[in-house]
Amino acid sequence: MPNRRASRNAYYFFVQEKIPELRRRGLPVARVADAIPYCSADWAKLVSTPLRKPGKFIPKPCFSPPDMSSLSLKSDQALLGGIFYFLNIYSHGELPPHCEQRFLPCEIGCVKYSLQEGIMAVFHSFINPGEIPRGFRFHCQAASDSTHKIPISNFEFGHDQATVLQNFYKFIHPNLGNWPSIYCKSDDRARVNWCLKRMARVSEIRQDIELLTVEDLVVGIYQQKFLKEPSKTWVRSLLDVAMWDYSSNTRCKWHEEHDILFCALAVCKKIAYCISNSLATLFGIQLTGAHIPLQDYEASNSVTPKMVVLDAGRYWNQRVESPGFSHFSCSNQEQRSNTPSDDYPSGVKIPGQNSHARGRGITRLLESISNSSSSIHKFSK
Amino acid sequence: MSGRARVRARGMARSPDSLSVQCTQTSPSGMLTPVDLSDSEASFSGDVEGTSRISQPCNKGVSSGDVGSTFVEKSVKIRQDCMDLGVCTREKWAHVRDSKTGSSGIPVKLATNLFNLDLPQDWQLYQYHVTYIPDLASRRLRIALLYNHSKLSNHAKAFDGTILFLSQKLEEKVIELSTETQRGETVKMTVTLTRELPSSSPMCIQVFNIIFKKILKKLSMYQIGRNFYKPSEPVEIPQHKLSLWPGFAVCVSHFERSLLFGADVSYKVLRNETVLEFMTDLCYKIGTSCFTQMCEQQLIGLIVLTRYNNKTYRVDDIDWSVKPTHTFQRRDGSEITYIDYYRQQYNIILSDLNQPVLVSLLKSKRNDNTEPKIVHLIPELCFLTGLAGQATSDFQLMKAVAEEMRLSPLGRQQRLARLADDIQRNKDARFELETWGLHFGSQMSLTGRVLPSEKILMQDHVCQPMSAADWSKDIRTCKILNVQSLNKWLIVCSNRAENVIEGFLSCLRRVGSSMGFNVGYPKIIKVQENTAAFLRAIQQHVDLHVQLVMCILPSDQKNYYDSIKKYLSSDCPVPSQCVLSRTLNKQGMMMSIATKIALQMSCKLGGELWAVEIPLKSLMVVGIDTCKDTLGKQVVVVGFVASINPRITRWFSRCILQRTTTDIADCLKVFMTGALKEWYKHNHDLPARIIVYRDGVGDGQLRAVIEYEVPQLLSSVAESGSKTSSRLSVIVVRKKCLPRFFTEMNRTVQNAPVGTVVDSEATRPEWYDFYLITKAACRGTVSPTHYNVIYDDNGLKPDHMQRLTFKLCHLYYNWQGLISIPAPCQYAHKLTYLVAQSIHKEPNLELANYLFYL
Repeated sequence: MPNRRASRNAYYFFVQEKIPELRRRGLPVARVADAIPYCSADWAKLVSTPLRKPGKFIPKPCFSPPDMSSLSLKSDQALLGGIFYFLNIYSHGELPPHCEQRFLPCEIGCVKYSLQEGIMAVFHSFINPGEIPRGFRFHCQAASDSTHKIPISNFEFGHDQATVLQNFYKFIHPNLGNWPSIYCKSDDRARVNWCLKRMARVSEIRQDIELLTVEDLVVGIYQQKFLKEPSKTWVRSLLDVAMWDYSSNTRCKWHEEHDILFCALAVCKKIAYCISNSLATLFGIQLTGAHIPLQDYEASNSVTPKMVVLDAGRYWNQRVESPGFSHFSCSNQEQRSNTPSDDYPSGVKIPGQNSHARGRGITRLLESISNSSSSIHKFSK
Repeated sequence: MSGRARVRARGMARSPDSLSVQCTQTSPSGMLTPVDLSDSEASFSGDVEGTSRISQPCNKGVSSGDVGSTFVEKSVKIRQDCMDLGVCTREKWAHVRDSKTGSSGIPVKLATNLFNLDLPQDWQLYQYHVTYIPDLASRRLRIALLYNHSKLSNHAKAFDGTILFLSQKLEEKVIELSTETQRGETVKMTVTLTRELPSSSPMCIQVFNIIFKKILKKLSMYQIGRNFYKPSEPVEIPQHKLSLWPGFAVCVSHFERSLLFGADVSYKVLRNETVLEFMTDLCYKIGTSCFTQMCEQQLIGLIVLTRYNNKTYRVDDIDWSVKPTHTFQRRDGSEITYIDYYRQQYNIILSDLNQPVLVSLLKSKRNDNTEPKIVHLIPELCFLTGLAGQATSDFQLMKAVAEEMRLSPLGRQQRLARLADDIQRNKDARFELETWGLHFGSQMSLTGRVLPSEKILMQDHVCQPMSAADWSKDIRTCKILNVQSLNKWLIVCSNRAENVIEGFLSCLRRVGSSMGFNVGYPKIIKVQENTAAFLRAIQQHVDLHVQLVMCILPSDQKNYYDSIKKYLSSDCPVPSQCVLSRTLNKQGMMMSIATKIALQMSCKLGGELWAVEIPLKSLMVVGIDTCKDTLGKQVVVVGFVASINPRITRWFSRCILQRTTTDIADCLKVFMTGALKEWYKHNHDLPARIIVYRDGVGDGQLRAVIEYEVPQLLSSVAESGSKTSSRLSVIVVRKKCLPRFFTEMNRTVQNAPVGTVVDSEATRPEWYDFYLITKAACRGTVSPTHYNVIYDDNGLKPDHMQRLTFKLCHLYYNWQGLISIPAPCQYAHKLTYLVAQSIHKEPNLELANYLFYL
């Protein structure tokens, strides 16, 4: 629904929220309009909680949120070369608030990423969740079953928490120096944060890692490049896509083998794909296999009998003439499907895709094959 | 139903055991509360700890009637469906204040499952408050002391430890009684009159229900969950190791004219196998090496029943370290072994002393974050209930169960008659009724009306179906109203499915052309049998011009369907049709399968299949439903489907994921405004009338719907900006309701015919409501759908409202026949189900004008 009253923008609500406090301070504020002078200073102040970012609504084009400034991304080049770590930790469900243990970490995935290079390195490990609090086995089992399906006990690949954390630190912090910023999706932030702290406590390693949200990162990059604020919906839709869900080399080996969608590593890789697909292209970067799972699309471009396209309509009439015809299993057909034609342009645009266009000649070739289709038919069975 | 499904189902039925008071237990002052009994008997005031909070209402004097009922809400937990009865919506609407009955249709005499309960004219219930000096913590002791006191022994009473109900007034307003415990302590009880309640008060209804609980107990029926079952007369299905306990769901309530007792037959499915036997079997089968693991995998989450107290528990965990020879601490602090406890308490000797214990978490009755109580159960004494996942897919088993459980109207009638007979004949039961001044009367019959059948309007044909339940044969040769032709579409299938596609396609084209749906040749893409390959093929070949994607799925694995639907409903909005290759292999049924698929496909392209005559011009109908997301992160999916043309053949569908724990919708304003805009776009005006059907309202939520959802709808209608804003009606639709209606014919009973409407006797006086039967059942008993008009600006005559609702039940395009709820509700249900099961996010708005979720 469009905003009917122009006055009710975010600033309006910000001021409205401030009114009680101002009243406590004894200021004569009856309406929002009265309170505005007292609030502008607060509005400009930078609050970097994930949900409230008043700064975002200020029409100042050159503003950048604090997390970006800390990376000192002054130029495109710095931005392109900047390294981000995307992290996710899965838990066996979330236990109710009265429990001391709120999460049971069971899988960690992390990728090292830059816009220029794409995914540079990955880290993945299963975690031994430890003893399940008495009575919550069903709860945890149900939570696991509905998502990542990692067994809640006796899981052979689970490593103990201290080892995992040490390895993780080695991954993100190989050389001494500044600890990098780690990003995760805002929905997962509470869980990831809790799990990190928990694992640190268990393994008695003290290191506070700053955990930022991917959403803010996207906003930051966008602002840096285009000097304007992207919409929240745009950011969310950018990150929340299903198209890479079953891409090869995205999930960890175990989840891939069991064909389970929910994988901590896949979440991180998909963040990288999404950012590559929408942001890196804006920077004019040539996408590589490290940016998005190109191999899936390249594979289909090569000659493979796995996927065959039949343009049934085109041969339908022919079929009536020669009843022996039922289908093609000819690999040439495959190539034709990717040739840009007026009838069926290829759906996915991939830069650098080699097109084996052969023009109309292929049709003639196919027609000639159709005469011997009966033998092909048998062959394919 | 599998254990988990049951858990979910129980979760939905809000607090099933908040209805009773334990009065008959006069166990002496043993102070013994076993671990597994803690106090799961619900009471008026929640639990014992609750008593201290409500200790001082006595000085307020006697309030008569149940005015305001603020006191009631604070101190007494009222049964959730009783709460709904306190919501009076009828009096607000002048056109139904005097009469809410319609007139059209042929009158039909109907038998019901309701029985008259007669009360003396001036019957009143007296509510007393009881305090103890010294204060006693044990509710059992409090109850025992009061019940054994000579002063009250002749009265009919219900007592929960604090609040006492009597049917006769005591001589004095405040009475002091003194008594002695077994230990010889003197206890002073002060009984103070707090209220006098007329029989119409909701509180009385609750007391009546407690009385009937006692009566059923005297007929040796036990309460499990909400219903009452008779373990002494089980129906055995030995070949599947199952037994069914027959029983009833009962309810006492004020219906239109009088107090009625309603009963419906219910069964409890039990497995004749204890958890211990199950464990032993499993151990033999798989050996000891991974026994514990398998055991946990198979048992955790199941519901077990302990026959010594007929209670059900969910197995949350198994504690392998605890044995029956171990001890636990009782309430009073003494230690006792499990063996001794069961011998003393229930006279049960445990045979296996090495079994582990099952662990169950009891739900905290108060909604705070206190730690839930943990209960230990002995596997030997726990019986598995319900049907496990494998069992539900066992056709023979399900058939055997269904044969027993699916009662014909006659069978149902006989069971009811027997229950009534038992209540009237049993001496104790009769005595209980008499002391309360109640008289159990005869089975009620009433007059309903059968609405005239509807004509189905096709493109150039008006069809009067032979049977409203299924008109697929009648319209076989007719053309559907309107559909665009399908020129550019894809079929994605696995290599194995190729041989069936050809036959199917020609069939599809043939049935398509006969219904006026022009199906062009698809592009066929063959892929390997895995999810990734399907998804990749779709991603590569779907472009802006593709109208529809059909996927021939090799198996019903959820992965295929979910990933395809997710991608094509949100990332890349294109209507999709999934078909199992198994379905296409059924050669004999190819024509009917192709017809169904062709109809679905044309809906997904925005086609209109058929219409019924809608006399109201400019009417928008809306369906709303909610569904819990299966990923279980406390997300509720709210679906909203609105008609966008006066003929009610085209629909606008929206869906949102809401992060709350309640089923009350938050976003209706956005939806409604969107729907009105869409209507304006197509009709260049706003609808004069809007009728909203709201499904998915649970017990006790009626008030929330009225106070929270209706204002949202109203404000968006008011803000829609026209001079005269549209008039709104809101109707709450409930498929689950207690009453059943049968037609009596030649001394036998049958299901009432479709189109039967009941708007008297079985309805509620405080509501503008009616029952409508729009579903035909060839086997079993048909259940009516309850419609409760909670808001009605339109002022349509009840007759018109009923007939309009009946018409709307004809418009669900996925079924060529009547359905049990209005089509917009069913659409909203389908939409929320798809989102909750597969997509888990908001579908793309570009699909809003298509029935893409069918």
